[in-house]
Amino acid sequence: MTMTSPAAAPRNPVSPPDAAASLPELRGTLKIRNVSKAFPNVQALADISLDIRPGEILAFIGENGAGKSTLLKIINGDYQPDTGTLSIDEQALSFSSPRDAHAAGIRVIYQEPEIVPGVDVAENIWIGELPKRMFLFSRLRLNEQVRRSLAEYGFENALPMNLLGDQLSSAQRQLVEIMRALKSGVQVLALDEPTSSLTDEEVDRLFTLVRRLRDEGVAIIYVSHRIREILRLCDRIAILRDGSLVAVKQASEVTEAEIVRLMVGRDLSEVFQRRPAGTDHEVLRVTDLHSNWHRGVSFHINAGEVVGFAGLVGAGRTELAKVIFGELTKTSGRVLVDGQEVSIHRPDEAIAKGIGFAPEDRKREGLVLVRSVLENASLAILRRLSRFHFVRGRLERSTVAGFVERLRVRTPSLDQEVGKLSGGNQQKVVLARWLAVKPKILILDEPTRGIDVGAKAEIYHFIDDLANQGLGIMFISSELPEILRLSDRIYVMQNGRITGELTGASATEEAVLGLAMADQLSALPTGAATPNREGSIL
Amino acid sequence: MSDNVTITRTKSPVKRDGALRRLIGFIGADNLSLMFALVVLVLLVTVVSGWFGLSGGNRFFSWQNLWNSLAQAIVIVGLLAVGETVVIIAGALDISIGSVASVGSVVAASVLVGVGVGTRLASLLAGSVFFAVAAGIIAGALCGLINGLIVTQLRVNPTIATLGTLAAFAGFAFLLAPEGKPVGVLTQPAFTWLAQGRFLADAPIPPLGGTKWTGIPVLTVIFVIVALLIHILMTYTDFGRAIYAIGGNATAARLAGINLSRVRILMYMLSGGIAGLAGVLLTARTTSGNPINGTGLELQAITAVFLGGAATAGGKGTIFGTFLAVILVGVLNNGMNLLGFNTFVQRVALGFLLIAAVAISQGRQARAEHVRTRIAAQD
Ligand SMILES: Nc1ncnc2c1ncn2[C@@H]1O[C@H](COP(=O)(O)OP(=O)(O)OP(=O)(O)O)[C@@H](O)[C@H]1O
Ligand SMILES: [Mg+2]
Repeated sequence: MTMTSPAAAPRNPVSPPDAAASLPELRGTLKIRNVSKAFPNVQALADISLDIRPGEILAFIGENGAGKSTLLKIINGDYQPDTGTLSIDEQALSFSSPRDAHAAGIRVIYQEPEIVPGVDVAENIWIGELPKRMFLFSRLRLNEQVRRSLAEYGFENALPMNLLGDQLSSAQRQLVEIMRALKSGVQVLALDEPTSSLTDEEVDRLFTLVRRLRDEGVAIIYVSHRIREILRLCDRIAILRDGSLVAVKQASEVTEAEIVRLMVGRDLSEVFQRRPAGTDHEVLRVTDLHSNWHRGVSFHINAGEVVGFAGLVGAGRTELAKVIFGELTKTSGRVLVDGQEVSIHRPDEAIAKGIGFAPEDRKREGLVLVRSVLENASLAILRRLSRFHFVRGRLERSTVAGFVERLRVRTPSLDQEVGKLSGGNQQKVVLARWLAVKPKILILDEPTRGIDVGAKAEIYHFIDDLANQGLGIMFISSELPEILRLSDRIYVMQNGRITGELTGASATEEAVLGLAMADQLSALPTGAATPNREGSIL
Repeated sequence: MSDNVTITRTKSPVKRDGALRRLIGFIGADNLSLMFALVVLVLLVTVVSGWFGLSGGNRFFSWQNLWNSLAQAIVIVGLLAVGETVVIIAGALDISIGSVASVGSVVAASVLVGVGVGTRLASLLAGSVFFAVAAGIIAGALCGLINGLIVTQLRVNPTIATLGTLAAFAGFAFLLAPEGKPVGVLTQPAFTWLAQGRFLADAPIPPLGGTKWTGIPVLTVIFVIVALLIHILMTYTDFGRAIYAIGGNATAARLAGINLSRVRILMYMLSGGIAGLAGVLLTARTTSGNPINGTGLELQAITAVFLGGAATAGGKGTIFGTFLAVILVGVLNNGMNLLGFNTFVQRVALGFLLIAAVAISQGRQARAEHVRTRIAAQD
């Protein structure tokens, strides 16, 4: 951290535009003043002023691309603001790297923390700061110390000390990152969409921890697209739109609808209503499928149906999709498309048979980050867009532009590198690609992860439309409300098996949860990759 | 049906770019800096050679030097570099191209003269320039097929695989040549025309730098045409898109329905075929199908590709960038020739240039990567 001399520090105190600004100032408040940041063709942040106060949980909410992550990156020293200042207790902060921010007691926890694969929990927590001379004695002491602090926060069971980095679930990875922050006396802790890959129980434990830290006087920033979660957890809510701070509200004084209106600048009046259109024609049938991850999975999807797949993270739903799509291999079982048995060994064969699959992990499996929005969105329909192997440029552009507009992808142009879009907008590009394919069977794996409310509604409409056009849709999601709302039928999976099928009135939250945790104690199938042994971790 | 959503938007999510930005986008920022480097280098060479008081064909800006020394010298390496660009964009590497060129060289000469492998075909084809050229290209493509199969079916790392075939094909070229000796083609003017022919030799163009207009070498025209074709392939076809996608993220490309093995095999066949053509032209230029004709050329080609802005990690790069880089390397060599540096100095310079090119490319990636992982880390 570099501190400018005291003489240079005091700036015009600009009062933040929030209701409680007149409260006496707390020591340790992180003051953001007039911060702006531009990227080529994008004003990511415009003149943001905001106080982050100790002992308070402040939410950042806004549409995809509103600037939430960019603001966190500035706080964390990843980016430098074009103009504006950060300060704590009249001391101006200027970070040239995250290391500086850490030294100042500021920590931003990203969704995919850096974890060293072959190293155990304690070392991962102390990464980069391990004592120089590592004698056995100090190693034991280190372990003891980590064990004690884990126990202090009640995580002895959630984060077993003997696990190596690559055995950690995403919840455990976050926990490691949080422990890193705690051990170095964090003052400001920011979490960027921490719950999007957590189970409900893990979310509850995370909230307990966050509240406890708040009560210990840590200033907390919480970024999420789940408004209900925010209302449940946070004290104040800062709403961003197009890079500007449009309002800061006390959580107790706003409603969900009000927040949405502030976020998107209009009412989201339409309530989504699925219009079931299932037919009797079976587009997909899977019988007694066995694989490294599955033990006798059987199900079917009819044309015009949206079939939800619920279950805890690690139940084998993603792997099921991949087995059907030919990305993973099955050991036995039959797959029938349109009543015909098919044998699929590669994704391109699956696509040729009329199956589409939008994967959940957009960075590793979904996108070619260094290529443009246009090229990414048209990748799976190139054949259709080409004549004699020449891609018809105009047709390609107009096709992609239609989806990009409709999914509200925020990008300066179709030629922008996908890697430079905000997370939610990247997710939309993956979806655009697969919605454009219009296969017979479309598998969507967590399609709305990280997507803002407005665009979510648009995606539901899309799915509804596609089903009504006769597609069979396999809809994998860990968000219960969304599965219940959209699905005509729901399969619940657990530990590589389908534990139940729910339709109509029988499909309730309790019923799904009951089936998802039906036999907690049964052993994992052999080869299961997930260390999710207690069913949930945090 | 989406009107209720889009109408109320204050900003259209897709903005239009300005004309200047479009132009820069079209040329590419990397290519602009290459052009700049080229201009600087040319100025440097002319100024320095002016000091040394060089004259006639020894002057940089003379028809003699431009067409005969520079434009012809870059062709072989240029062709190899163009093929290599495709492979490097796909995130792989083909080190074997020098040896493939040797194979192409020997095969073309043998078919033309009707010796060695050519004897059996002799009664049918001997003396046919067309078949000689085709045989060289096909031989190269077959070598590429072998590379492709090793990489995709045996799952050998591309660098190791083609390092192995670099040695293997070099030996193979000797085995093909009768008794391992070069096959002379001096007596086939229709064939050597490929290297010695000139287009527009009679055009009324004034002398430059004290030397007369000599016409445009056939060799150079062939290079430009091939580069143009591959540029079109990479920019406007589904194959080109697949190459870029595979290089950028092979898993994502596979899940989007691209048959990785097929594209990779075709890619190696393309690079091999172009190397075969380069070998044919080497035969025409040196008037012999010599099994050492292509030795060591891969290094220069790979240097040009990285200098041209292709990313070592794949997914990025353009044929135009490589084209500029080939000229840049050509001018550098040409300038050093004019100024009388010996070949050893030139080799040292080339070696360091490769390292510098890769270092620049890595730096660029690291910066982009930093930004990307930061963005990536978040959402
Ligand atoms: N490195 C970059 N280069 C160019 N543009 C960028 C870069 N980083 C962010 N942007 C742009 O800045 C804007 C704000 O992005 P940011 O990631 O802060 O959004 P966000 O609010 O976190 O969205 P999401 O909810 O989708 O995560 C977006 O339009 C994005 O495209
Ligand atoms: Mg974000």
